[in-house]
Amino acid sequence: MTVATPGTHPPAESAATAPVLSVRGLSVAFPSEAGPVQAVREVSFDVLPGRTLGIVGESGSGKSATVMGVMGLLPETAQVSGRVLLGGRDLVGLGDRELSAVRGNDIGMVFQDPLSALTPIFSIGRQLSDALRVHQDLTRQAAWNRAVELLDLVGIAEPHRNARAFPHEFSGGMRQRVVIALAMANSPSVIVADEPTTALDVTVQAQILDVLRTAQTETGAGLVLITHDLGVVAGYADDVAVMYAGRIVEQAGANELFGRPTMPYTIGLLGAVPRPEARASGQLVPIGGEPPSLVGLSAGCSFADRCPAAVDRCHSQEPPLTAVPGHGQVACWRAPDIAGGNPAASSLFSPPEAAVEEHRPDRQVPGETVLRVAELARTFPITKGALLKRRVGTLHAVSDVSFALRAGETLGLVGESGSGKTTTLLEIMRLRPPEHGLIEIAGTDVAAPRSTEQTQRLRRTVQIVMQDPMGSLDPRLPVFRLLAEPLQAVGTDRDAVRIRVSELLSLVGLDASLADRFPAALSGGQRQRVAIARALATEPRIVVLDEPVSALDVSIQADVINLLTKLQRELDLAYLIVAHDLAVMRQVSDRIAVMYLGHIVESGDTEDLFTHARHPYTEALLSAIPVPDPQVERSREHIVLKGEQPSASRLPRGCVFADRCPLYPLLDGGTQQRCRTERPLLRPAASGTDHRHACHAR
Amino acid sequence: MIVVATNVTYLLAAWFLDPRSNYRGLRPVRTEEQIDHALAPYNLDPRAPLADRWWHWFSDVLLHFDWGKSPVGASVNSEIGFRVVVSGQLVTAATLLSVVAGVALSVFTASRQYGWWDRMTQLVSVFLFNVPAAVAALAVVFAGIWLNQHLGWRLLYVAGEKSPDVSGLWPTVADRFQHLVLPTLSLTLLGYVGYHLTQRSLLLDNINSDFVRTARATGLTRAQAIRRHALRASLIPTATSVAFSIPAIFTGAVITETVFGWNGMGQYFVQTIAKNDVHGAVAVAAFGAGMTAIGAILADIAVVVLDPRVRVR
Ligand SMILES: Nc1ncnc2c1ncn2[C@@H]1O[C@H](COP(=O)(O)OP(=O)(O)OP(=O)(O)O)[C@@H](O)[C@H]1O
Ligand code: SF4
Ligand code: SF4
Ligand SMILES: [Mg+2]
Repeated sequence: MTVATPGTHPPAESAATAPVLSVRGLSVAFPSEAGPVQAVREVSFDVLPGRTLGIVGESGSGKSATVMGVMGLLPETAQVSGRVLLGGRDLVGLGDRELSAVRGNDIGMVFQDPLSALTPIFSIGRQLSDALRVHQDLTRQAAWNRAVELLDLVGIAEPHRNARAFPHEFSGGMRQRVVIALAMANSPSVIVADEPTTALDVTVQAQILDVLRTAQTETGAGLVLITHDLGVVAGYADDVAVMYAGRIVEQAGANELFGRPTMPYTIGLLGAVPRPEARASGQLVPIGGEPPSLVGLSAGCSFADRCPAAVDRCHSQEPPLTAVPGHGQVACWRAPDIAGGNPAASSLFSPPEAAVEEHRPDRQVPGETVLRVAELARTFPITKGALLKRRVGTLHAVSDVSFALRAGETLGLVGESGSGKTTTLLEIMRLRPPEHGLIEIAGTDVAAPRSTEQTQRLRRTVQIVMQDPMGSLDPRLPVFRLLAEPLQAVGTDRDAVRIRVSELLSLVGLDASLADRFPAALSGGQRQRVAIARALATEPRIVVLDEPVSALDVSIQADVINLLTKLQRELDLAYLIVAHDLAVMRQVSDRIAVMYLGHIVESGDTEDLFTHARHPYTEALLSAIPVPDPQVERSREHIVLKGEQPSASRLPRGCVFADRCPLYPLLDGGTQQRCRTERPLLRPAASGTDHRHACHAR
Repeated sequence: MIVVATNVTYLLAAWFLDPRSNYRGLRPVRTEEQIDHALAPYNLDPRAPLADRWWHWFSDVLLHFDWGKSPVGASVNSEIGFRVVVSGQLVTAATLLSVVAGVALSVFTASRQYGWWDRMTQLVSVFLFNVPAAVAALAVVFAGIWLNQHLGWRLLYVAGEKSPDVSGLWPTVADRFQHLVLPTLSLTLLGYVGYHLTQRSLLLDNINSDFVRTARATGLTRAQAIRRHALRASLIPTATSVAFSIPAIFTGAVITETVFGWNGMGQYFVQTIAKNDVHGAVAVAAFGAGMTAIGAILADIAVVVLDPRVRVR
């Protein structure tokens, strides 16, 4: 078990420290059919040695375009202007050859998706030594030795042997370590990390952020950390720049930015993000509206349409980025007013009225049980060979899952990717006898023989909303048809369909005029609303939601979460939700079940579980969630788990978590023996409580 | 594989080709029985059961590498001997050139995606893709003639595979080469297209992939990153496809050889079919299968060279 405390930064450098990287007035435009897309506009920042600049912003705000512009890795069609000063030399306008002498040598880069970032046909060691030999005059052997050292440094076990491995033999987390090793290989003065942990699980994210910190300490480089996760920024950045519609709209030290945000967008963003460390007393406060299109931007402030503080001037003139004493640099006409407390930052955004009265009525009167799952198991054969498939093993996707869901209640399934959450949902949606165990929907055992009519009724009872609304909505059908389809399938007549569709639209807060639009013409949030409306069309009692908001940006996510809560209250729905974002889960779930390798290892009331986690895995999982508050984030202790969730093809005989359990090494021999040989059962911590966990030692 | 393919061809050929027709047109007119009798020494007597004929033929091939006789008694072996060299030269040269030209062109154009050169070459390739082999061969013949006329002397031959009266090592090599250029060119023109178009799209997938970006981030120029990382990864599927394209090149060779008047396997194939020469046709098929097998082995070797992952396992 490693206990790392982030926030152990080098003491603030004296003001005299020269920046290693200065970006001045950087603009990037991409030509498009509709006109140039102004992806980045007049962005300026400094990166100081040994310090971390966090760049946050929603998708499409220009974060990646900015750093690609710095690296000179934009496509040739991009128009770049401004200056990128690295050690006093301007990189903008340099040719590929000159830039390649800089890339990897003075600037190292870490990318988002580690699975595709490494060349599949070269060994890890070869790629690392190649990267070294591009810039240094090393013999093959010397480069290889250095590569092995680097692998050791980024925490790859058995570096000598693993240097010979190929990328496909590594997990995502290990590959990202290799990419970091590549970035730091030549001791660059700047390391740029573009969403380095977005594709990874939360416990692996904590490891990777630690490795990034190691790389930074080792090289003394300045770090540019791009992310959309405010929690990550709060924990790791010294300075933060917030981007919106291609511009930096606010830039300040992490403490000032999180403590005293000044630009209305920043204020809204911080209010919209769910907090993992405390259940928000009220609702999430959405910003409302959507970011503007980057083609043909209007003259005014790009946030004006969504800004509650907007004045006339905001619509005609774009505010420059100016220093506001006690804050940072802010691009807002009303920054001095807001900094002065008039209007107060906290009063800018208000939760939607409908939901203000009470967010969660104490639903202590649970409804009847609408879904019961007991001892569910599901395996997949692992096959080899292209033509003749041989079965070479069995993947235990779900081994032992039991829970009950009542009307009006939300049960959240959490766990890392591959823990069997989606498989569980799909098993329920199948409405077929499960491989093992029991599924009972509204009192009907799905394994029992039934008539077609009963099957149809069952099908109407459970509906699903998927992660990617684009993928689940047929792009060739307009919204009206999309919503009418499930109704027609159950034989509703035409007039009734028409009425029901307009009802559904207003239910999910969509304008009736959207009915004849196609999915492609809708925004992400609107699409997800259509998907929800479609699921509700046949008046189900259970709605299964697989990552319902993870494809959406924070400011839109809050809207959808609020909508789901509202619908549940109005329609007495039961929700079964899977989401990897634990902060979101805390916000929406009444009860939570934590899954690991196909087993539920802990379950209980959300608040109880978040505050009194009992299973070591739950503890680690909760500790790994970054809190979007630098004060909290830097002072708390993190449990960083070692390793990653193993493959479900060979389950350990005893506790499935034993290989990574931080508690295990501290146990006495007898208990260790039990952990190794006896699968712990889910049992209540004290009699009469709903809080259950499966561990021999707790 | 080769053995199976060859045997199947034998049975098919024996079934459909009728060697007796070679004798029917002869004067004086012979009876069917006489014809059959005449065919008997060549193991072509239709009265003998097919199984017996097959076994006779197969054991001869196996034990003596004797591919049998034509209906008029000429030895297939002696017919084929020099033709194999002639056609082998042509097919090998054309295949190699096609691969090299196709891949080189794809690298050149894929790194200039949607540029002028990319569009132009793609247009040309798509055009050539739809040109029948005979037309291409004729066009090349005319181009050769035109060139010779403008030079005022015969640089390139448009007919035959060699001149009859050349002696000495270097003159022979030069003469062969002068004959080889145009047919090879016309085959290559048809063969490179496939490599260009498929390789281009494979390469584009790889050029825009994340790992090329990573390679550039470590300090390789775009061109270096494409060559060292993208090209190699994208060549692996191409290497396997070379083996399977050999039959197509061979078919192309039939037409090319006919147009250029080469005494090669292609021309022989047409002849044997026309003359109902069972054994000859089968030998040609065996040759094609053999070339394909060699291609497949070479492709496997190439994959092992290109993809280190295969070596480890
Ligand atoms: N159809 C399938 N065939 C083979 N294996 C499968 C199939 N569906 C799921 N799996 C495997 O089952 C395991 C559990 O998968 P599942 O999708 O349920 O995980 P998850 O927790 O939902 O992950 P994520 O958060 O990535 O969605 C994984 O190892 C997955 O690869
Ligand atoms: S400039 Fe105006 S519209 Fe823009 S953020 Fe400030 S107050 Fe809002
Ligand atoms: S049973 Fe043992 S290995 Fe499993 S979580 Fe508990 S202490 Fe850890
Ligand atoms: Mg999943």
